[in-house]
Amino acid sequence: MSNNKNEKVLEIKDVHAKIGNKEILKGLSLDLEPGKVHAIMGPNGAGKSTLSKTIVGHYDVEMSGGDIIYKGKSIKDWEPEERALEGIFLSFQHPVEIPGVNNAYFLRTAVNAKRKHEGKEELNAAEFLREMKKYLELLGMKSDMISRSLNEGFSGGEKKRNEILQMMMLEPDVIILDEIDSGLDIDALRAVSEGINRMKDGKRSFLVITHYSRILDYIEPDYIHVLKDGKVIKTAGPELVAQLEEHGYDAIEE
Amino acid sequence: MEKIQDVLNRYKEDFDLFATPNEKMEYIFDLGKKHSTLPEEAKNDDTFIHGCASPAWLVGECKDGKLILKGEGTSEMAKGMLTLLLDIFSNKEVDDILSFDPQELGQLGIVELLSPVRQQSLEAFIQKVYAYAKACKEKENGQ
Repeated sequence: MSNNKNEKVLEIKDVHAKIGNKEILKGLSLDLEPGKVHAIMGPNGAGKSTLSKTIVGHYDVEMSGGDIIYKGKSIKDWEPEERALEGIFLSFQHPVEIPGVNNAYFLRTAVNAKRKHEGKEELNAAEFLREMKKYLELLGMKSDMISRSLNEGFSGGEKKRNEILQMMMLEPDVIILDEIDSGLDIDALRAVSEGINRMKDGKRSFLVITHYSRILDYIEPDYIHVLKDGKVIKTAGPELVAQLEEHGYDAIEE
Repeated sequence: MEKIQDVLNRYKEDFDLFATPNEKMEYIFDLGKKHSTLPEEAKNDDTFIHGCASPAWLVGECKDGKLILKGEGTSEMAKGMLTLLLDIFSNKEVDDILSFDPQELGQLGIVELLSPVRQQSLEAFIQKVYAYAKACKEKENGQ
């Protein structure tokens, strides 16, 4: 990877993190470059989801060592909402259903909070809807989904499309996708991938956590990082995917 | 030069985005967030809109054949409606205003959502706008 410090948007430095009493991340280091797609692959229990939770400051996770530098600043003591306002986005592996909270209000509140934070004027309801409708079509979402309660009764595919809709509306700088491809049929996978590809602008960075290589056919990663037992044990180009498919994670040595 | 109908078309598109009456009404409230206010001395008997459900004032000024309107409302609803209506009517040519049929506001799909009292308020507002526009026209003709 580049030695130029300015070419890293996120630096994860020797991070140790626990969930409860169990240490999951054991000295994990990883740099994200602007405009690049980084894929994280690894066996179950390697710490992939814990990594994403650690970056966004999820309350489940206690960081016990190391540092996370975002755009040159340490964010390890920042609240999750500060990280979000500054442009870090996480799509949940299992998006929660919140009955009674209208999907469009929820998203507009989030978008306007971010715009306010950036010193931009808030979008009114019509401006917001107009913007959102552009993406609904791209993602193959029915327009009634935005007036329903957040994720309530949504199918697995609809929930994931809704996550991508949030990502597109929030225009983050670092996008973490935690198993965005799990449980998706081929149409949903294609729609979700198209949404992700639409967000590639040469500046935004992506951290794509996945079990399967299938989504990587659509979103073409620049780097593959293999995570095992709480550490990145190998970083390589996209050619590593085929090797992993063939030989499995056990064949990768530290 | 923007005509009343141009602004109406713009708002019609906006209101058409919303599927339910509730959302349309909330958009009106939303517009009210950009509501302007009047200086205290401009709020007097002459500018008071008689017949409005909540106290509201409208100031009209003739300028180069156009009517410039400024207003202030007190309830959230009035603020939203005033913001909308000022955008539609202010800074328009006097002739455009005088030849405008208020029934055309029906295109927006919101008049029927207003309670009878608020429909009266709307009527009172429009009468006030016409009164200002007529005064401008007379002034123009008198010169």
